[in-house]
Amino acid sequence: MTQPVTSSLAPRDTRPREQVAVFSIAQYSFVISAASIQEIRSTDSLGGTVVDLDRPVLRKVRHIVERDARSYYVVSGYEHFHLPASRPTTVLILRSAPVAVLVDRIEEMAEMRVLLALPQSFRGEELTWYRGLTVLDRKVLPVANPLGFLTGRELLQLEEQNPGLLQAAATALHERERV
Amino acid sequence: MSADKSSLVPSFVVFQVGTRRVALPRDCVAELIASPTLFSFPHTTPLISGVVLRRGRIVPVLDLGPGVLGAPSPPARFFLVVERHISNSSERCAIPVQGECELVAGIMLPAAGQDEFVTGTLALNDEQIDVLDLEKAIAAGARSEAEPILAAEALS
Repeated sequence: MTQPVTSSLAPRDTRPREQVAVFSIAQYSFVISAASIQEIRSTDSLGGTVVDLDRPVLRKVRHIVERDARSYYVVSGYEHFHLPASRPTTVLILRSAPVAVLVDRIEEMAEMRVLLALPQSFRGEELTWYRGLTVLDRKVLPVANPLGFLTGRELLQLEEQNPGLLQAAATALHERERV
Repeated sequence: MSADKSSLVPSFVVFQVGTRRVALPRDCVAELIASPTLFSFPHTTPLISGVVLRRGRIVPVLDLGPGVLGAPSPPARFFLVVERHISNSSERCAIPVQGECELVAGIMLPAAGQDEFVTGTLALNDEQIDVLDLEKAIAAGARSEAEPILAAEALS
């Protein structure tokens, strides 16, 4: 069977491409850069590595999870986006921040070819939540900002109210594993 | 929609938000679109119900109902694409409208009512149509949507 040959005269699509994961929370779908994800785990597999926060200063953060000698604040995706309670089955452990995000499920991995700025009419928390919008399969989806799940100020608040907990949780879990 | 371009009389687009007929200067209006796919996602900006994709551009959908009617406007099949002026730049937004739109020419008279977002009125077939200041109508709607939230926060 002859494969179609692409004409060298045809313009090449030179737009930057980015591998992304499409995840859902409640009835909404979101996109996040695959490069920003360290690991994708089922919530069932986290079991013994989860520590409750002494003082949950933020409604969306109640636990810490430890993975590979690092600890992460577990952010509830539906609380973060102010959505009705959902049933998270998956956790996205991020690379660039000490954050693990609870999401309902991963829908697919895809290639993002366009990142559009949020229109200026948007003025709310979405400016922190999203890097912009993209179009996948003719659907407009928000592109989550990995640094937007916990802002610098929120991280400081968590650390102030639970001093050293992130480090202590990692140490305790390691010692428990050694015994 | 049609009008004599050579006319020196200013023209306005008359449209319906819920039960109220209002108008905007013709210059503010780009086009009328029917049944676009509305994409919604979580956000906290008042009045925005989602976005539509129009010629490769993302156009936010803004409901004028809370400002103009005091309540969200009913589901709409038509959207009027208007030009907003935000921070020294402009942006197109889509306003859900009920029924048909008309392009009319007429002299705007000073506003008689109390609404701060009404800049004047048009006399059209024995009907007085309020001409809106788009930005003030959006601001009034945003305030009215924010008030219940503030009240709820104060009570909690």
